[in-house]
This record gives sequence, structure tokens and C-alpha cells, in this order.
Amino acid sequence: MTKTVGSLSVGETGTVDTIDAPKELKRRLMDMGFTRGVAVKMVKVAPLGDPIEVELRGYNLCLRKAEGEHISLRQTI
Amino acid sequence: MTTIALVGNPNCGKTTLFNQLTGTTAYVGNWPGVTVEKKEGDYHGMRILDLPGIYSLSPYSPEERVARRYILDQQPDLIIDVIDSTNLERSLYLTTQLAELGRPVILALNMTDLLEKNGITIDAKKLSMMFNCPAVQLSASKNRGLEHFDQTIQEALESGKTPACPLFSNLVEQYITPIIADDYLHKLPQGRPMRWAAIKLIEQDELFLSSMPDIPPSTEKLIEQARAALTVMYDDDPEAVIIDQRYKVAEKIRSACQTTIKKEAHFSLDSIATSKYGAIPLFILVMAGVFYFSIQLVGGLTTPLIERFFGFVTARMGSWLSSLGVLSILSGILVDGIIAGVGAVLTFVPQLFVLFLLLSLLEDCGYMARIAFIMDRIMRSIGLSGKSIIPLVIGTGCSVPAIMCSRTIEHQRERELTVIVTPFIPCGAKMPTFALFIGYFFPGKWYIAPLVYFLGILCVVVTGTISQKLDKHKETNAFILELPHYQIPTVKNVWLQTKERITGFIHKAGTIILLASAGIYVLQSFSFALQPADPGASILASIGKVLAPIFKPLGFGSWQATVALLTGIAAKESIVSTLSVTLGTASLSSVFTTSSALSFMAFVLLSTPCVAAQSAMFKELGNNRKKFWGAVCYQMVFAYLVAFLIHMVA
Repeated sequence: MTKTVGSLSVGETGTVDTIDAPKELKRRLMDMGFTRGVAVKMVKVAPLGDPIEVELRGYNLCLRKAEGEHISLRQTI
Repeated sequence: MTTIALVGNPNCGKTTLFNQLTGTTAYVGNWPGVTVEKKEGDYHGMRILDLPGIYSLSPYSPEERVARRYILDQQPDLIIDVIDSTNLERSLYLTTQLAELGRPVILALNMTDLLEKNGITIDAKKLSMMFNCPAVQLSASKNRGLEHFDQTIQEALESGKTPACPLFSNLVEQYITPIIADDYLHKLPQGRPMRWAAIKLIEQDELFLSSMPDIPPSTEKLIEQARAALTVMYDDDPEAVIIDQRYKVAEKIRSACQTTIKKEAHFSLDSIATSKYGAIPLFILVMAGVFYFSIQLVGGLTTPLIERFFGFVTARMGSWLSSLGVLSILSGILVDGIIAGVGAVLTFVPQLFVLFLLLSLLEDCGYMARIAFIMDRIMRSIGLSGKSIIPLVIGTGCSVPAIMCSRTIEHQRERELTVIVTPFIPCGAKMPTFALFIGYFFPGKWYIAPLVYFLGILCVVVTGTISQKLDKHKETNAFILELPHYQIPTVKNVWLQTKERITGFIHKAGTIILLASAGIYVLQSFSFALQPADPGASILASIGKVLAPIFKPLGFGSWQATVALLTGIAAKESIVSTLSVTLGTASLSSVFTTSSALSFMAFVLLSTPCVAAQSAMFKELGNNRKKFWGAVCYQMVFAYLVAFLIHMVA
């Protein structure tokens, strides 16, 4: 199973590979900077387990785990 | 007329800059999506526009569509690209798109005051050279760096120089060039830059295609070739390739212009505000604190004082007017109509002032977005978005701005649901009604007031759950939210917001409420034959009595209560003023019982909001009449049922 942004554990970093999502959502995720090769770090999970806060391109962004699942990662540290 | 447009990412400070440039006081807050509508201002005889924030020129939510449509169709003479300096790379991603539009651009590097803390330095000169357009470092909130801004704007307008478009990799450029050279693009509608159009053709941007003449087969073939080649080369769709290329350009420029010294991680409020165990208790504590402080503490202190003052004025005025021999109907209008009605509303000015003040502090410091983050899970389970919490919190002040800021919710159903439930949250204007009834029927029972809020919240939950059960399309909704930097609210901004809201409230008391109180007094002093009559036989009573039977099952079938509800449609404050005028010296218990007082409060809480909020609802429901009337009917029926239930139980 490939690792996705949604399945990162806190503190873990991964590199974006592909985004498999409906056109509009994919477009929006990419607009926010999730392009191939970008490092994404899981910063925090909301108190109730969802959504998540990630760091990419020097800023912090919140998204739901379900959206994070659309973004698969190449490698994780 | 020369037009300047402020464009940039959400929450990068466009409106703050707009306010600084035009000297106006438009609504600003520290979360993404405060501005949902374009705003116009005057700047040295030029038109300056503040647009909703966008991440790219491909819109996602309705307010972004406003911005895109404007930028593309209206052709501003100058674009001021407002950039959050602490988030340079993503800001430059938008810049790469703006640069292609063929309009002069100024890069306004905002929030420079935050750079040092983050260990960042930006070489503005280099940036300016790379985009071949002016780049100014400034801090709109601290009013820094704006000394020569006028001059920069003048020069940019006079030279009309358009910025350089940063090029993509050769592999991609080789497909853009032939499309630009194609005859089809020479027939472009005026002012559409060719490079931009060629890229949009490769992306197959639907909004763009729909505004273009039919594409001839030869051009179509060219585009198809480009798309196919890019897809193979990058193993992704062409649209993604273009975004990727733009970000590559942004990365390159950022790394050339920005140096970062890694600073030690400093303490962030988020270690409590969004922490696992602390976040939700803190949220409850903050909200409870806001209401306790404004309503209980300040309200409790000032209300009796002001009531006594108006009692004194009424008595003195009455005896003074009668000693002068003024007609009793005139002195009645003044004393028992206007002073009683307006006074009943003005009593709430101090506590609302404090409430508005605290809310604007919350909005300004950056906490709102955190609430959306921590509450999203709960809100989603009732069919709303985490972002719905922002309208609900702001709705405790006033529903109108609250309903408007639901616009940033991406998903249509979540957005519309938010619009419908926001008025369930008791706004400042409904507060006088609750205070009046609680003070009269439940003195000393402190828990009734919080119960009103809980009832409102409960009804939000119930409505959400119902709508989720009814909704057959279980689609995945997007929730993408940026957490802004915390900032210490500026005195100026908080003061302006608070002042604007409280003067709005006072202004209403001096206009709508004043007229309504006088009108109500007249209507209840005369019969249809225009003869002076007892209130019980007056025009007002006759009207009220026609409708009163509707409310009979709820326990308050008196004409006074009915008329109060009717005037409440204009402004909720007038419920109290109408009651105090129509009841005169009679007490509330002459028309209400303890149980009907409760059901009356519930009905006021939940029934459809005032006209101002209704028009905001209409607008946010997409100007859709059917949806709007559906929403109003739902609120009415729901209010009626809940009030009925409460009357039965109590």
C-alpha cells in the first residue's frame, strides 16, 4: 500500500508523487502547492482525529484526512 | 476612469492595505476569506478595488469566481499583487499567472514586520528585476513602507510597462509557442494576452473556452498534440503539468530572492489552541468567557442603571409636558412611544459594545481559523463544515456579516445549510427580548440565558442532522484551510470594527425603532374610525387579533405579542420596544405566563431573522427564490414546532 498524506504520522515527512482526485479537487490541491516532489510534513492531527495540519512550501495548511488520502507519497522519512 | 485592483492570496492583507490607501474602514479580520465581495474605494481620484483572496486564477469557491471574473473581464489599469512575505513561494505562484495578463503589476510585499521573527530576508530589488516590475516592501497593518507608494503607482500607470512572464521549461515552452503563433489567437477578444490564452487552451480551462469563439480544426489539432505530448512526457494531465511548471518558476525565484536563517522554534499558542486535550476546553472557555463578561458582568452592571435613567426621564418628561399643556396624544407619542421604545433598546448598548469588542478581538488575533480546525470533525458529523463555526460565532453579534462569511465554504450544501442555521444563534438584537423576559419571569435563575444559546446550538445540530439524513448524495467535501499567523490585534482595527457595529445598533434605535415606536403608539391610540380609543379597540389591536389565533397554541395568542413579532421582522430589537409601548403600564404577566414566556423566547430565537439578515440569506443562497423561501418556511415551521413543544412541556 502506498503511503498518502492522510496516513502520515505526526512529525513524519513525505514527498508528493501523484494526486488521484476528481479534477476540481486535484486542481485545488495543486494550487495549494502539492506538486510532484514537494516535501510534506505532518504537523498535527486535530483533537478529534481529523482534520490534519501539514507543512509544505514553508507554510501550514489544514485539510481533511479524506483529502490527504488523494495525495500519494513517494518516500517518507 | 483609472482602475487599480488589489489581488492576492486570502488573508495576505489586501483589505488592510485597501483601508490604508483609501482611508476607509472596510471589514478586516485575521482568517482567510473575510472579504467575499469586491469593494470599491477612491484613491486620488482613481478607482481602487479590493477583491476576495484567490490562490490561482482557476476559481474554486464562489467568492473566488468574483475575483477571477473581475480581473479577466474588467481589465484593471494596474494590478497590485499583494504578497504575504512570510509565504513567498505560494504567493509567487499566483504572481506567475497575474504577470501573464498583460496589465502593469506592482508587487506589494506585505507583512514585512513578521519577517524578522521568522528569520527571513527578501531581496526586493532582485525580485523586481526578475519580474521586471516594481516591488515594494511594506507592512499595511503597521503603516510602514507606504511613504513612496503613491509615486510607485503613478509611475507604473504612466509607463504602462507590463511585467515579464517567467518562462517554463523548454520541454513545455516548445508546445506553447506554436499555439501562440497560430492564427486563431490573433482573433482573441481585445485585451486577452496571447501567452495566457495559449496556456488556457492547453489546460482546457472551461470558463475560458466558453468565452472564446469556436476553435478551428487545425488549431484543435495543435492543442491536442501539445496535450498528448505533455501527458506522455510528465505522466500527468496537462493542467497538472502547467501548475507544476508555475510552481517550479516560483521556487526558483523564491530561492534567488529569499534567504532564511533557521530560527529556533519559539513558543506558539497552537501548542494549547489546537492541542489534543486543551483545544476544545479552551474553545468552550473562550466562548463562555465572552458571554459571561459581556452579558452577565457588564450587562448586569449597566442595565439597571440605564433603566433607572430612562424611568427618570420618562417621569420627568411626562410631568413637564403636561404642565406645559401639550396635547396628550403628542406627549404620549414622545414619552410612552419614542422614549419607552428607544430606551428599551438603548439599555443594551454597553453589553453589546463589550460583546462586539471581544468578538472583533477574536477575529483579529487569528483564533477563528483554529476553531474551524478543531471543530471540523464535529461540524461534519452534522452536515456542516469546520468553517461553518466562524459564521456561528460571528452570528452571536449579528447574523448579517455572519451569513456573508459563509461564502468561503467550498461545498454548496454545507454552505447553504450554514446560511439557514446561522440565524438560530441568538444575535445581539434578539438579546433585549431574552433579557426582558428572563429578568421578569426568571429573576435570579442564571441558567436560563445560557439555555437560550444551547437551544440555538441544539437546533443547528437537529437541522444539520435532518438535512444529512435527507441528502442522498454522499459526496466527499473539500475542506482546505490555511492557519494564519497569530497577531496582536491592533487597537485601531478592533476599535473601528466595534465602533461600526455598535453605531449600527444605535443608528437602528434612532431610526427604525424610533419610527416604529411612534407608529405603534399612534396605531394603538386610534380606532379604525380615527377616533381616540382604548388600546384594546385600536387599529393595532384589530390587526394583531386577526393573526393572534395562529400563536394561540404556542401560549401567547395576545395581540400585543403578535404585533411585537410582526415589528420584529423589520428589526429584532423592536420586539422589546413594541412590547413596552403596547403594554404601557401593564406588566408582562398580563399577556404572558411563565410557560408562554419560554415559548415566546424560543419563537423569537428561531423564527426567520430580520429583513437585513433575510436579504443576506437570499444572496448567499445564490439569489435563488425557491431556496430562499424554502429556508424561510423551514425556519418559521421549525420555530413554531419548537415553541409549541416547549409550551406543552413547560
